[in-house]
Amino acid sequence: MTGHSDPARFEPVLTRDVHLQDSHTLRTYVKGGGYASLNKILKGGGPDDVTQEIKASNLRGRGGAGFPTGKKWEFVPKDSPKPKYLICNADESEPGTFKDRLIMNKAPHRMLEGMIIASYAIDCHKAFIYIRGEFYKEYKILEGAVGEAYEANLLGENISGSDYHLDVVIHRGAGAYICGEETGLLESLEGKRGWPRIRPPFPAVAGYLACPTVVQNVETLACLPDIIDRGSGWFKSIGPEQGPGPKLFCLSGSVNNPGVYEAPMGVPLSELIYDFGGGIDGGKALKAVLPGGVSSAVLTAEGIEGLNMDFESLAARHTILGSAGIIVMDESVNMVNACLNLARFFAQESCGQCTPCREGTVWLVQILTRLFRGNAQRKDIDLILDVTENIGGLSDLSQGSYGKTLCPFGEAVAWPVRSFVEKFQDEFAATF
Amino acid sequence: MAFIRIDDKELEVEQETSVLEAALAGGIEIPHYCYHPALDIVGSCRMCLVQVEGMDKLQISCNTFIEEVSKEKKVDGKYDAVIHTQNDLVKKEQENILEFLLINHPLDCPVCDQAGECLLQDYSFRYGRAHSRFEENKRVRPNEYLGSRIVINHNRCIMCTRCVRFTEQISGTKELFIKFRGNPSKIAVLEDHPLDNFLAGNAADICPVGALLSTDYIHKNRIWNLSNQSSVCTDCSVGCNIDVCYQDDRIYRITPRENHEVNGYFMCDIGRYGFHRYEDIERVTQPLIRKNGEFSEISWEGALKEVFDHFTRGTEKEKPFVAGIVSPFHTNESNFLLGRLMKKVFRGRSALGMLPPIEEEKDLVYSSGFRISGDRSPNRRGVVDLCPDLVDDILDTIREKKIKLMYVLDDGIDRGLGEGWGDVFRNLRFAVVQTYAMTPMARSAHLVLPGPAPLEREGTLTSDRGRVQWLRPSLPLSGSIRHDWAIVMEVMNTVGKRELKYGDVADILREIGDDFPAYSEISLFRLGDQGLPTDG
Repeated sequence: MTGHSDPARFEPVLTRDVHLQDSHTLRTYVKGGGYASLNKILKGGGPDDVTQEIKASNLRGRGGAGFPTGKKWEFVPKDSPKPKYLICNADESEPGTFKDRLIMNKAPHRMLEGMIIASYAIDCHKAFIYIRGEFYKEYKILEGAVGEAYEANLLGENISGSDYHLDVVIHRGAGAYICGEETGLLESLEGKRGWPRIRPPFPAVAGYLACPTVVQNVETLACLPDIIDRGSGWFKSIGPEQGPGPKLFCLSGSVNNPGVYEAPMGVPLSELIYDFGGGIDGGKALKAVLPGGVSSAVLTAEGIEGLNMDFESLAARHTILGSAGIIVMDESVNMVNACLNLARFFAQESCGQCTPCREGTVWLVQILTRLFRGNAQRKDIDLILDVTENIGGLSDLSQGSYGKTLCPFGEAVAWPVRSFVEKFQDEFAATF
Repeated sequence: MAFIRIDDKELEVEQETSVLEAALAGGIEIPHYCYHPALDIVGSCRMCLVQVEGMDKLQISCNTFIEEVSKEKKVDGKYDAVIHTQNDLVKKEQENILEFLLINHPLDCPVCDQAGECLLQDYSFRYGRAHSRFEENKRVRPNEYLGSRIVINHNRCIMCTRCVRFTEQISGTKELFIKFRGNPSKIAVLEDHPLDNFLAGNAADICPVGALLSTDYIHKNRIWNLSNQSSVCTDCSVGCNIDVCYQDDRIYRITPRENHEVNGYFMCDIGRYGFHRYEDIERVTQPLIRKNGEFSEISWEGALKEVFDHFTRGTEKEKPFVAGIVSPFHTNESNFLLGRLMKKVFRGRSALGMLPPIEEEKDLVYSSGFRISGDRSPNRRGVVDLCPDLVDDILDTIREKKIKLMYVLDDGIDRGLGEGWGDVFRNLRFAVVQTYAMTPMARSAHLVLPGPAPLEREGTLTSDRGRVQWLRPSLPLSGSIRHDWAIVMEVMNTVGKRELKYGDVADILREIGDDFPAYSEISLFRLGDQGLPTDG
């Protein structure tokens, strides 16, 4: 790691102001240098320069998929006669993930500034914040922040005296996990049932109202002001070059100090658990960790040794960074029960549109329930593994067996369930 | 054009054709449920997954489109795409999807009305596993009425959403929606907005399994017992293409037949259920003569002799005027021959008229463009095309010319007799009505000649947009019923002392073509199942 990404000397970026009184206000944000980046781009070289700077920073999306942000913007057709839209995905709804909520609560103007920068880069003049309906407090804060921004001419016509204009609309979702998936979000935003859309076409070409649309996560957008301010080189110097930058990690479960922690991308997981999180609750032994929210494959205590929290390091251990929702499980956790609990969540949240996910998730719950109650047989273990493969396609990636479901939800179910069964097989077998 | 290979078959296909469409056009089956060519692609059933060389994931063939690629990207130096639909990976996936679909679907084929034309049944046999590993309890839900004629068996529904998309995209009426989320989701309607539009029956047709059922057909017969006759709907001037499903002398159901020049894939419920109108009518199966106010049966020979006696009696000067009434419900051939009878046999002392078409207020046009014509008669255009000497108002003409003889091709059971006809009939010396039922017109006749009902007729019809289509008889003729064109031919031979020997509709159609250039290119062979436009 470089000097910047040394946690001991790491200077918080995204959470820089969150400890301040009224950190959510425009006054506080501007006092700390907020909106300087916006003014910089409005007086600078133009949208393409912004895109190139972000592309050069190697910023990857913080919503879970980790797609390169600049590249996504480049997919937006420049010659399209249709309006272009930016949507801030604020539908954070996965258990164990609560980082975006912190930004919305404590640093809404950082997110808004990021939205304006992104909108400017893709030639968008109307942007949306799609916020999870249950986040009422955050909605009110964002509403206030947007109002302040309009009043200060940071939104609306001729922003800060430039010829650029942008309107931002806040849209409250009704609370469904699948509405956080970008195409499900688009359907919901259009007033339809929250079901994912078939791809292609991709949203960058035909998204909201069939117009070019970029959907970005809250945290991703919050990264933009500092990249513009300090340059892509600074950003790239934090953590691994292929996926650098400051990162918010959500720590929950059996740790003494759960919460959201900012650390450089690539911070060791053990450091997050033991230093930031204060170790395992009650001095118990660590048993397992879900490193990237409930849709990531679980790791054993041994599996986290020497593991850095970045895209590549986690992929090397057959799991994902995902939403960086680290769920820690101590030795007392019943893994069969934990797996069942997790499967129940996914079965509940499956939208039901495509066959493997609609039918398979509930089947998994039924078998796991039998296991948990001691009514299963050894063959059921194999059946679980097979069903997860048939939903998500996992066992032999070389055969190209992904893509079995319409959206990544199928894989999000299959990964954790399969990993629980494979890595804690003895515990599952003990139920017979 | 792109050059592709699907399994071992090489095909040349248009750019932007989907793999599924290319395969189907090439005679290669890729199993699918949610895909329907008339509906938007959703890719939700996942049954049509295939492997495309060069792509790391399995692809749904309904949403994978073929493009011509640059020379260096061609597979094996010549193919724009190489697709596998039957390799081990794909076969395993097909088995998996069917296993999922059968989790909640009951194996009730023995009592299911869809058995025999069910894609779940067919694909399970061809692509599925012999045994399911699902050992839990199946979900059981009661049937529900979605509308007055459509019932849903929720247990059989595989959530392909074809029916929902149909009401969104074809009828535009949006009665159907998906209630609940995830596994519990189900097709539903709101209580005050049932599926009762005029296209509702199509929702049962496009259901690939036995979930949506027409209450009109449920538990009436098994599909494999029925014979199909491709024909044309006669319930409005659009001329939807249909299949008439019958056994012996009974029609059990009518379903739409694909014709993109006319009705696409669908038909309206007026035509679909219209055949029931003919089930309880008073059919005419023998020639009938009225004597002393009562009808009594008479032989064909006797009937034709009556016609001869009444229509040829007297010297040339004494012979009265004759009115012929053609019908927008009858075929081109019958109307053409009656026109000839009037013009050539009763030369100089005849008038040809038509009863006005039966019209509703106006055309009913759905969001997809599907149209139900306000003109409920199937062949007004044909009458206008082939009977150029029609008088504007036959009733007035009969009165003005003091016409004493009349020959009528009856309009059928949907028309009552309008004001003025009573007087006309009272003043007639002799009226012949060629009909299939005891209609008000027939009851007023002196002689009734038995013809076929609409779905027993043979001939051609010209739709209001000028498409000539082949109406083929779906049921055999019973009793002494003869085909309409044959009856008129016999009358012409009798009254006009002619020797016409038309063997079938094709012979008459040839003569129509000789007289009317717009029909000169039309023959039964060329009409085939899809018809031809009169304008070439």
